[in-house]
Amino acid sequence: MNMMPQALQKKVCVLGGFSVGKTSLIRRYVESIFSESYITTVGVKIDKKTLDLAGRLVSLILWDVAGEDDMASFRMTYLRGAAGYLLVADGTRPATLDVALSLRERVEAACGPLPCALLVNKNDLTEEWTISGTDLEGLRQKGWWVRPTSARTGEGVEDAFKDLAVRVSS
Amino acid sequence: MSTSAAVTLRDLLSPPPSADGIDRKALAGLLVELAHNVKPEQAPAVEGVPRVDLRLDELRRLVLGREIELLARLGAVIEDPEQLAAAVGRVLPTAVAHATADERLGQVLTPAFEKATQSSIRSNPRTLINILYPLIVPAIRKAIGETIDDTFQSLNESLKASLTWRGLKWRFEAWRTGTTFAETVLKHTLVYQVEHAFLIHHHTGLLIAHAAAENAASQDPQLVSSMLIAIQDFVRDSFTGAEQQGLDTLRLGELRLWSERGPFATLVAVIRGNPPEELHATLSRVVSQIHAERRQVLESFDGDTSGLGDIEAHLAECAALRQQSTKSARRGFPWLVAAVGVMLLMLAGAGGTWWWQETEARQAEQRAWAAARQAEQRLWADAVARLKTVPGIVVTESDMRDGKFSVAGLRDPLAADPGQVLERAGVDPARVVGRWVPYQSLDPEFALQRLQVSLDPPPAIRLSLENGRIVARGSASSTWLERAQSVGRMLPAGGPELDLSQVLDPNHGAIAKLRDAIESHEIHFNSNEPLPSPGQDAVLDQLAAELKELASLSALLRVNTRVTLTGHSDDTGRGTFNLSLSMARAGVVLTMVKKRGVDPNLLIVNGSGPLEPLQSGSTDAARSANRRVSFAVGTE
Repeated sequence: MNMMPQALQKKVCVLGGFSVGKTSLIRRYVESIFSESYITTVGVKIDKKTLDLAGRLVSLILWDVAGEDDMASFRMTYLRGAAGYLLVADGTRPATLDVALSLRERVEAACGPLPCALLVNKNDLTEEWTISGTDLEGLRQKGWWVRPTSARTGEGVEDAFKDLAVRVSS
Repeated sequence: MSTSAAVTLRDLLSPPPSADGIDRKALAGLLVELAHNVKPEQAPAVEGVPRVDLRLDELRRLVLGREIELLARLGAVIEDPEQLAAAVGRVLPTAVAHATADERLGQVLTPAFEKATQSSIRSNPRTLINILYPLIVPAIRKAIGETIDDTFQSLNESLKASLTWRGLKWRFEAWRTGTTFAETVLKHTLVYQVEHAFLIHHHTGLLIAHAAAENAASQDPQLVSSMLIAIQDFVRDSFTGAEQQGLDTLRLGELRLWSERGPFATLVAVIRGNPPEELHATLSRVVSQIHAERRQVLESFDGDTSGLGDIEAHLAECAALRQQSTKSARRGFPWLVAAVGVMLLMLAGAGGTWWWQETEARQAEQRAWAAARQAEQRLWADAVARLKTVPGIVVTESDMRDGKFSVAGLRDPLAADPGQVLERAGVDPARVVGRWVPYQSLDPEFALQRLQVSLDPPPAIRLSLENGRIVARGSASSTWLERAQSVGRMLPAGGPELDLSQVLDPNHGAIAKLRDAIESHEIHFNSNEPLPSPGQDAVLDQLAAELKELASLSALLRVNTRVTLTGHSDDTGRGTFNLSLSMARAGVVLTMVKKRGVDPNLLIVNGSGPLEPLQSGSTDAARSANRRVSFAVGTE
């Protein structure tokens, strides 16, 4: 009768600028029952990523929030109750990093400091990267948790989820 | 022109003399003179006549003077738009009236009217609404009325037409239970099943617990619940006015989502079919109960669902709710139609043999009498059989003699009236003699009714029958619980038991915690001062917050709660003064918490002067401690 696994659940928001590969980044690595069209209609799509942290199951309930470069259109309501969030930027477009930085400011203003990870996507196209390593190193110095990922090859994605899961469930 | 011609003209002009104002004599003279002028022999003289002959003008004036004046007047009218409009306006209605027969008038006017109407609507739609209102409202009312009538008629027709075995059974049931046929049909067609019950945390959208009916298919409940909360947020953000409310119902085909919102969590039930309105109340009760029992857990829920089995049990109770169809939806064979057909055939056959029956009329009469008597016996037997099925009635004897019926037995005072039962079965109560000895039935329904009276449960308690046991649910004081336990022990053996294990004592749990918190506060005063000594605002704020929470929790649990504010003084000064000072201190504290939003109906003010000192002795420290207002929480 009961179909719910006895697991710890945590709400995690996924935010990022327009077409940074946010949705494709999570699509291949999560359990999903809703279609992509929810993002454009309701403004959010819910997915789940269950991880085994040393025998303890942690389910990240991922709120893939419609992100646009126009910040006014982004619904802060969906951040309510989040235990942490993922910021996604596109390594080939420096403007998307600026969007991620300002998103973080907005989230911190609304919800206070929360565990956060910055995923710099399209790591498979490093030769086209225009975000410099020094920029990212600068962010790391400021205490940011930065990880290059690739939605295409899957590099870094699982680790990113796992690290965030550890931080939100501790 | 000749003279004769001039004469003819004179003849023409002279008769008849009229009152047209022309000076005919002068005119005639003028014409004769003109004729003389145009004589051939006088032609050279005529040549000398000037081109503009003043006499011609005079002639014109004389002949056409009135017409010229009229034309000038008409010209002025036509030139001046104002006058022309006034003139046309005077004849327009008559002209339109004459032209109405011509179809072209309508065609010509249509575009102008369309434009005028559009412009009127654009500038002030209210005018058109006001004009149309008296027309449209009765029209709509009539249309709706007709549609409803049609629907009812078709429903009625379909009900009437459903001369199936099932239809007849429902008719019989309606007649037996004294309800209308439509109600009975509705009861049997309100078929639903709660397939899933989700309890979702408001703040995070995380799933607290979930239960599904055995045969229900489902997607991942954790994802579904978060998406539900997201959609609720979406609706709340998108439509102003919905900020404080969630999305109560969603409907997709035969699936419905009903949500009942509690302070920290929402219960969402996924229902297939056609649920009755009472289900809302049931769901609401479950939400209140879960909040009452596990308020702390819900308030501080952070995604850890271990140890929430009891909440799941509540949800499982919801997921088991259903109203099953009494029979499969297969259309039954139209028995009555078949029976009527067979009867018609038989009658036709009977018609052929009527002459033969005529000869045996007397025998037939005898048979009919016997048949009537037999039918009456059957009716009585059926009626008694039905009486035997009524709970709380035991039939020991029944008889039929000389057209009179008699019946005797035992009857619980709570049971249905046997006379009415027999009447509904078609037996004339005037022909029945009944002898009934009272007794108490152990039927669970009656036991429940009797307990309702003897236990007099508080409003927060609900008694219900569950698997032959009477279960009390809700919260009640320990005094009531003790009384209920002793009543339960006195219930006769063999009857249903009274289960009080589900009753919560409001003096434990959340209310008790609040009570302890409130009673731990004290407000202190300087000597002879009715106002609290400074620096106690934080305590008063905290106290007010706790009192408000107590009020809302009491309302949720439907418990009557009163908080007594007792003022105290030290033992210096006169007794009467101390008493009124202590009373005033309590009154001041009441005003202060009332200002902080506490409902004063919750509070009782009391003054005890120096009679209840906190510390004995007459040191300054003891006196200072005794000058205070204390708090006591009482529940019932």
